[in-house]
Amino acid sequence: MSKLRALAGVTATVAIALVGWSCEAHRTALAPSTGGPLFHFFVFQCSPLKMTGGGRIDYPPGTAEKNPPASHQYETFGAHVMASGQPDPSGTTCLADKGELEWIDHRPEMEINGHPLNLHATAVTFAELAVDTDCSDGAVHWGGTLRVQNTGQENLQFEVWDCDNGEPGNGHDGFAIRVIQPIDGLGDYAVMCPDPDLPPAEPSCTLTGGNRQFHPTH
Amino acid sequence: MKIDDIRRAVRFVGLVLPLTWSPGSLAAQGAAANAFGVAVRTATINQTTPSAVLPTDGTLAQNQASNVTVGTLVTAQDAFATATGAADGEQSDAVSSATLGTVSILNGLITADGVVAMASSTIDNSNAEGSSLANLVVNGTQVSDPEPNTRLDLPGVGYVVLNEQIATAGGMTVNMIHVVLQQPVLGLLGVVTGYRTTGNIIVGSASSSVN
Repeated sequence: MSKLRALAGVTATVAIALVGWSCEAHRTALAPSTGGPLFHFFVFQCSPLKMTGGGRIDYPPGTAEKNPPASHQYETFGAHVMASGQPDPSGTTCLADKGELEWIDHRPEMEINGHPLNLHATAVTFAELAVDTDCSDGAVHWGGTLRVQNTGQENLQFEVWDCDNGEPGNGHDGFAIRVIQPIDGLGDYAVMCPDPDLPPAEPSCTLTGGNRQFHPTH
Repeated sequence: MKIDDIRRAVRFVGLVLPLTWSPGSLAAQGAAANAFGVAVRTATINQTTPSAVLPTDGTLAQNQASNVTVGTLVTAQDAFATATGAADGEQSDAVSSATLGTVSILNGLITADGVVAMASSTIDNSNAEGSSLANLVVNGTQVSDPEPNTRLDLPGVGYVVLNEQIATAGGMTVNMIHVVLQQPVLGLLGVVTGYRTTGNIIVGSASSSVN
């Protein structure tokens, strides 16, 4: 009986050590590098990933703080994306499994038909892990196609830069969006903060509310 | 039951219970988020619109209404409600927001032209950062950036709580404008002995929790 107990003890110890070792190695592989170049979101890899949450951006940004509420210079959004790290057959695009984006720009100058600009993703097609940012918990570049809810304009391509830089999300995490084709009635549209001095990672804009949550996948 | 049977049962439970334990069983298991633009509860009205509730599969829900009218109690334009997040152990998160454009409550007794309610929760961290009220006027008086749970009396109507923040299990609720409708309770000689609540109006509400 005592031999059995000893064997069980050794087995459990080895199992725990193996599990701990395997998790640590994987986490290191996925962790973004720190102290890298100021220009971010340049180096990507196809990896399993998931990013969830939503928030608020006060853009154009004077600081990382909220603009005066009466200025209406802010955007709010909800978004998530999930990928299993599979490239397309050509090997050039990391495929997304699924995702959603709801984006509202509350700036009066962005109104269309008398209502705030409202963008709704109709498909999320790609998602790639950004490994050169200083986002502490994870960063993702992803996108697809969207519809302008105000007008029904369809099939506009978009991309976002999505950063989880610790807790809380307010003042730390980042998000940016660019619509590739012009929006009817507005023209080119992007909410990006290309300032390397503005944390957490260019070109994402610092959240003034909400949270982005990166979900590491073992 | 013989004592040996009891001992065997205790041994069985002692052996099996540890096998059912997993690290995740001690971690957060759920994420909840919901938001709505306008809710009115009175004796004759029970209406909430637009509203969004985080689906159980933890993705995203959104709803909107260009115009909201609830009798003579509330009008609002461009109301959006969003709820998002995911249940994922210690990485669980929940974020909800409700935004509105022009708002008028009780025939202009309270007005605003931009309402944002935002609630965000992760493990051990919930906040209402991102919430705001633009050009808020209460009973003819401009109110800027009200502190959490600012209460103002509304003579003949009841009172309003601005930027109402309520702690919940693993999270919080923020109601940017919460009007409590009250009627006086009269005593034998017509003296007011108290007030009773006859209804509630909430404009801009967001809730999130992780537990």
